[in-house]
Amino acid sequence: MLSRVAENLYWMTRYMERAENTARLINATSQVLLDLPRGASFGWDVLIQVVGLDELFREHYSAYDEISVMRFLISDARNPSSILSCIHNARENSRTLREILPRTAWERINALYLFINANATLAIERARRYDILEGVIERRQSVVGLLADCMSHDVGFQFIRIGRFLERADMTTRIVDINAAVLAPRQQVPDDPAMALLWMGVLKSLNAYQMYRRHASVHVRSGEVVNFLLKDEYFPRTVRYCLDELEACVAELPHNGPPLKLLRIAQRRVAGMRVDGLTPAQRHEYLDAVQADLARVHAEIAAEYFYFHEQDSAARQIAATG
Amino acid sequence: MNALMNLNDYPLAGFYDELIDSDHRPRPAARQLFDYLSRFTPAELHERRAAVDAAIMTMGITFTIYSDGSNIDRAWPFDIIPRVMAASEWRRVDAGLRQRLMALNLFINDLYNEQKIVKDGVFPLEVLAGSKNFRAQCKGITPRFGVWAHICGTDLVRDKDGTIYVLEDNLRVPSGVSYMLENRMLMKRLFPELFEQCEILPVDDYATRLHETLAALAPQENERPVIAVLTPGIYNSAYFEHSYLAQQLGAVLVEGPDLVVGADDVVYMKSIDGLRPIDVIYRRIDDDFLDPEAFRPDSALGVPGLMRAWRRGKVAIANAPGAGVADDKVVYTFVPKIIKYYLDEDPILPNVPSYLCMHDQERDYVLANLDKLVVKPANESGGYGMLIGPRATVQEREQFRQQILADPRNYMAQPTLSLSTAPTLVEKGLAPRHLDLRPFVLQSEKMYVTTGGLTRVAMREGSLVVNSSQGGGSKDTWIVEERR
Repeated sequence: MLSRVAENLYWMTRYMERAENTARLINATSQVLLDLPRGASFGWDVLIQVVGLDELFREHYSAYDEISVMRFLISDARNPSSILSCIHNARENSRTLREILPRTAWERINALYLFINANATLAIERARRYDILEGVIERRQSVVGLLADCMSHDVGFQFIRIGRFLERADMTTRIVDINAAVLAPRQQVPDDPAMALLWMGVLKSLNAYQMYRRHASVHVRSGEVVNFLLKDEYFPRTVRYCLDELEACVAELPHNGPPLKLLRIAQRRVAGMRVDGLTPAQRHEYLDAVQADLARVHAEIAAEYFYFHEQDSAARQIAATG
Repeated sequence: MNALMNLNDYPLAGFYDELIDSDHRPRPAARQLFDYLSRFTPAELHERRAAVDAAIMTMGITFTIYSDGSNIDRAWPFDIIPRVMAASEWRRVDAGLRQRLMALNLFINDLYNEQKIVKDGVFPLEVLAGSKNFRAQCKGITPRFGVWAHICGTDLVRDKDGTIYVLEDNLRVPSGVSYMLENRMLMKRLFPELFEQCEILPVDDYATRLHETLAALAPQENERPVIAVLTPGIYNSAYFEHSYLAQQLGAVLVEGPDLVVGADDVVYMKSIDGLRPIDVIYRRIDDDFLDPEAFRPDSALGVPGLMRAWRRGKVAIANAPGAGVADDKVVYTFVPKIIKYYLDEDPILPNVPSYLCMHDQERDYVLANLDKLVVKPANESGGYGMLIGPRATVQEREQFRQQILADPRNYMAQPTLSLSTAPTLVEKGLAPRHLDLRPFVLQSEKMYVTTGGLTRVAMREGSLVVNSSQGGGSKDTWIVEERR
């Protein structure tokens, strides 16, 4: 597999995963807001914080109102992480991968792009937002399913999975981190019904609510939710699960010593974390460290597998000796 | 019979129509098609066309056009009325194409080696000397099977009297075959019933044959030689085709920077697992950009040392560097003689009568008749740099007069052909549009000709320009066994 191709596969899925996660986050948040009692609402700025684009947002917008935030996250081409930008980028990446991917995969990615390109601005208003973003999620999932069922599970497939799980783990840590920070001050009031609703929203934004209820607890309490989202072994969007998957993918790659080592550091950090009794500040520090671990894993994978094609002289030397 | 299919209203304009005869009846090979089409109302037909357009968008069948530095991805313009030819006629064309490519390859190999054809006075030295595509770096080399042009796209046109002429041979990096395959796929998707009723010969073995052609070139006996398609990258107008062919061939799609030539002169690709050797390169970039060490030093698209690897037989390149010497509109005029010289056969397919500006008498004729002729420079492609006399302004003709006088070797002229037409779906129903045909011919150990080829059609009324970069579209091309 060409280094360039491996890199494109990786980024194609990272972009698609990011688009889907953002769509999910927006839909879950919009739903929660409908349920909250007046005055218990949090601001739309939380969404901007979750995706970590506060600075870019303020460059282009003056207020964190719903329409501005939605435009920025869904259809704004100036935001490289907007749903439209992500899917556009994924499509451009996959264009160079047509000979690697099953043919229908390109068609579906292209169809996804055509869909969001036609509908992105319509999704800014609440009326059609839910359906359009569900449409994004559904189309993206059909690509994931197609690749799982119709593409050889070879090295290229591992890069697809690595992109997906790195992006997903990153998103989950962000969602937990930001929401914990935002919600923390409210926890002074015991049994605040709004609190349960908000944490429910967090779970829903990761499609985790139902599984949490079945496997973790019938009560939605902050400590238990955080614990579940970070450490559950079986739910496919938890940090733990993503790291385990990443380990399995990297194990399939050649010369994988350095990235595996970094992955294990991240795994140990998550396993060793004691959620109960942490102050919000300590928890934030912990999650920050996990995010830094993920960034290092990315950098190592890039150095090990992607950048070879930029080191021409080194390559020629190897060719001479090999 | 509905309004759309009332062929009496079909405006035959004095050209040869591929599907409809001069009595406004379908030609024999097209009868089944019209039987079928007569069941549609115009609205239904337009509905199908809208469905085709949607499918083209989803399938992402596009080509790229450059304008002002940015590029636009355009959907491939496709007409749903196929162009139909009788298998009996096609067999003669097929034989003519084989004959032509075989002779051209003998010619190229001769030019780079003994140059017998020049010594025997059949091909003038001055034409060779003036050839921009003759590559001195290729002298003394005989590639495997003596074949230089492994993939050839030959443009055919039909004149008013029904004669099929060869308009040009594209021996460098001919494109369009993916559209031929996609067109068929679209038609099968949209009109499955048609394929049950008509005996349409299949086209989809092209990828298999191309693979055979390329694999046979591998330097070492290798069960599964590694084949790479070398593309200039995503901004090239034919990128869609490059990736499409790589996919169909099971080949690696590479860009210049993905490859490196080692001190052992082997070509390697940079993979996640280190360097892996490449056996055959199907290159889709021009000679000039292939190897900055041998050709243009400023090329960032190529691979330094590639020519060295090729000359030492470490890698096969298709088409071979230098094959373009026979893809020259002046050399073209000699092809009938070339066929006679190497094969001792008369050409099965005629050339369009041509005038060479390097000959005084012919040049005088050309200059006196610029308003009637089409003038072509030797080395342009894609319909660029041509003068279409009858449509040109006085200034344009004057400009060409100067250019011809300055460099007569570089120009040839042909009478303006009355290109044949075929019914094409337009707003009001069916109307004739001009078209040509580009079959693809393969040669290495064996030869192969596509069944039919890519039909390109000038979508604008009266236009003769079929190039996709200039508003042309395409049609599915059917070779049909006529029922007895």
